[in-house]
Amino acid sequence: MTSEGASTDLSSTIWPQVDKALSGISVEPEMGVLDLIVRIPRDEVIRGLRALKRDADLDFDYLRCLTAVDWEERGIDVVYHLYSTKKRHNLTVKTNLPNQDLTVDTATTVWRGANWLERETAEMFGVRFNGHPDPRTLLMPEDMDDTFPLRKDHPLQDIKILQGEGIAFPEEQD
Amino acid sequence: MTSVLLQPEHEFETQDIFVNMGPQHPSTHGVFRMVLAVDGEVVRDVLPYIGYLHRGAEKLCETMDYRQGIGFMDRTEYLAAFNAELSYVMAVEKLAGIEVPERAQWIRMILCELNRLSSHFMFLGAFGVDVGVLGTSFTYAFREREVIFDLFEEICGDRMMYSYFRVGGLAWEVTDNFVARVHQVLASARQGIEDLDGLLTANEIFQARTKGIGHISAADAIDWGMSGPSLRATGVSLDIRRDEPYLFYPEVKFDVITGTNGDVYDRYICRLQEMYQSIRIIEQCLQRLQPGPIVPERMSRLLRTPPGEVYLRTEAPRGEYGVYMVSNGGNRPWRCKVRSACLSNLQALRDMTVGHYVSDAVLVLGSIDIVLSEVDR
Amino acid sequence: MTAEFLGIEMPVLLEAFIKVNIVVLAMTVVVMALIYLERKIIGRFQMRLGPTRTGPFGLLQSIADALKLVGKEDLRPTGADPWVFELSIYFIFVPVFVGFVVVPFAIGWEIRALELGLLYLLATSSVSGLGFAMAGWASDNRYAMLGGLRAVAQGVAYEIPLVVTLLAVAMLSGSLNLREIMLDQGTVPNIVWQPLGFIMFYIAMLAELNRAPFDIAVGESETAGGPHIEFSGIRWSMFQLAEYAHLWIMSIVGSAIFLGGSAWPLGEDLGTPFQLLLMGIKSSALIFLAMWTRASLPRLRIDQLMGFAWKVLMPLAFIQVLVNGFVIVYDLPLLLLTVQGLIGIVVLNWAIQRAVARPAGRPGIAAWAASEATS
Repeated sequence: MTSEGASTDLSSTIWPQVDKALSGISVEPEMGVLDLIVRIPRDEVIRGLRALKRDADLDFDYLRCLTAVDWEERGIDVVYHLYSTKKRHNLTVKTNLPNQDLTVDTATTVWRGANWLERETAEMFGVRFNGHPDPRTLLMPEDMDDTFPLRKDHPLQDIKILQGEGIAFPEEQD
Repeated sequence: MTSVLLQPEHEFETQDIFVNMGPQHPSTHGVFRMVLAVDGEVVRDVLPYIGYLHRGAEKLCETMDYRQGIGFMDRTEYLAAFNAELSYVMAVEKLAGIEVPERAQWIRMILCELNRLSSHFMFLGAFGVDVGVLGTSFTYAFREREVIFDLFEEICGDRMMYSYFRVGGLAWEVTDNFVARVHQVLASARQGIEDLDGLLTANEIFQARTKGIGHISAADAIDWGMSGPSLRATGVSLDIRRDEPYLFYPEVKFDVITGTNGDVYDRYICRLQEMYQSIRIIEQCLQRLQPGPIVPERMSRLLRTPPGEVYLRTEAPRGEYGVYMVSNGGNRPWRCKVRSACLSNLQALRDMTVGHYVSDAVLVLGSIDIVLSEVDR
Repeated sequence: MTAEFLGIEMPVLLEAFIKVNIVVLAMTVVVMALIYLERKIIGRFQMRLGPTRTGPFGLLQSIADALKLVGKEDLRPTGADPWVFELSIYFIFVPVFVGFVVVPFAIGWEIRALELGLLYLLATSSVSGLGFAMAGWASDNRYAMLGGLRAVAQGVAYEIPLVVTLLAVAMLSGSLNLREIMLDQGTVPNIVWQPLGFIMFYIAMLAELNRAPFDIAVGESETAGGPHIEFSGIRWSMFQLAEYAHLWIMSIVGSAIFLGGSAWPLGEDLGTPFQLLLMGIKSSALIFLAMWTRASLPRLRIDQLMGFAWKVLMPLAFIQVLVNGFVIVYDLPLLLLTVQGLIGIVVLNWAIQRAVARPAGRPGIAAWAASEATS
């Protein structure tokens, strides 16, 4: 999670190109197990993603995956896994959202494929994607927009919360 | 005074009708629902609904030991459970830095390719039914699928939910006659592919029904995040087995099959040809298979991983099956996200369907080869 | 008015009543047998056994099914139009049944050998399209409506090639009486002079019967049963009865008109049992062919189906009538018809191949663009 000494390790990766493409945006690089990871502040993340997609050397035209990770008091990370189908390299982009304000701009303006992935992330973590073209729930019931199952504070076993009142079996009701 | 017939509420007008296809419909391949706005016989708009099979596998994985999560992966992708297990165990191995013995890797490769065969057989059979063969293609395909499943059953005792891969290797050694049995299965599978090829591909009605239907361009397909045979049918040569090698795929020879038009027919042909390539891979694997250990010599009883994260992707029959695993240093994943190939492929459904006839909407859906348990997880 | 039946003089009405009852009983048995056979034959095509459990070789399966269907609850959707819904099956079943009046099971073995028998048969059987439309409309179900409309469009389209090919044969025989057409073929069956006509008749027959590859109305994988979708129990079994009875009629008529029926070969010399055997073999062959087609061919789409009828079958059928006319009027050798028929088959095949090779577009996009441009 730290980036000290990263500049020496990362010279063999695509970090120099990424750094060039993202000039003007504050970026923190880090080497993951397989791919390079960069952290971008959430106000600039869509601009950064668009720059990464448009850059001729990087050409990240393929959004592999979009999801979020709940770090409890450290907020929620939204994670984008990018891939270039022509240059065949990977990049992981992360942005941190503080717990008080879980909003980030939508990536559907960059890749249309982000649509359903964002809908899923939104309903599972309560992240709001500004400007999303279709902000309905995806996997969850339509009316279940106040429960976020993949958050760490969501109880796993207490399913009565999900079932609502009066839906339990008759013998359990009293 | 205006005529009562000209008042807005009495005026005759053509109207789209809404056809609700699914969740119970013979052709939605599981519990999938799509609402079609139909202008006569032509589809004007499609709205897919998913989530009927959502079981929260990701949340459950977070509460379980790394080894217990393998069972959930089987259930996310029940037609190609070995491929799903593979992504999961490889993600854990990458995080924990575990080296897998050579024999275990070869056996994993053989089983994954066999599972690809069985999954594609399922596709061919079901697709034939979508096109309107009364069920002959289905029984042809299931005959071969049964042969493959019999082999799986001999090895792991289960026909669909194997739980056979372990972090670090395999659960136990394969049966003694494994190589001979695989050869036997391959011979029957080859015959089965030829049978299905003969039944469907050259048929004039089949060609007339499938060619030029559900076209999507390469750029659109990439933009939607499609993968697997559905993407390769558009002409994009993208195969994780070749581009980002895992297991011993660099050491075997196989072709990446691509189409040209990106229509339903090409998706079908891509899958059909891919099956021959799978047979080719398995035959090479069998030659290279040597006796040896199937689990690392030193494995800790309690599996802990250092903090970190990995996005491990493999080429499953339907496309990129990815597992994004974040570890917080414990014995269970902090976050385990399953990237489903079908979810992304399904997003492009609207682009592929709108403007075609109702009958073709069924074909387009069938040609993506969706597995709803993988979409909903 | 008296008529002779089995050597007994009796009033016409009584005679007709007895004959009709015999045919109804025979039809029920034959339909059950056909359903059993179809399941067995398609089972073999699909490498499975078909019914085996009920009785020896599963022979009682159809009876068990019939009993089950009769015992089922008769459901009607709340939103359905009650009168139209309940009448629709009669509109499907009765026209088919009425067709039995002229069906020649052997020489002299029909209820009535009408002078305009062929016309009567075609006229009555085309009414069943109305029944499908009624069933589809009244069910209050979108799939049923799609299926019903498809059935009507298809029925209307294929009626014409069917009628015209049969008309061409009637020109050769100089009669519309099925018995006379059959007797006319004592030496050479009509298929020799009309090979193209036979193939077109067979295709149009499959379409008229809503059987694969033309089963788009009931298409299981698209409209999930089409007009049948909301029918259950005895009403649904009436659909089955009508479908298989129609198949039986059409195969007998087809073999009577094209294959020489019970007249060729030597039918008139060897007596009624041999005639029945001949008819049985020929019609069974046609039925088996239909089942074979059903087991192996995919389904056509609605536009392909209509295009095939209007653009391919219709012109060829009219050409057939024209050539027949020339041959009859100018007394040309009949062998010319054989040659023309074989050439026609080649043309038919070429047209099919050409249609397959043509790239398909998106019909909707072009149509909407045109309609938006005009409005």
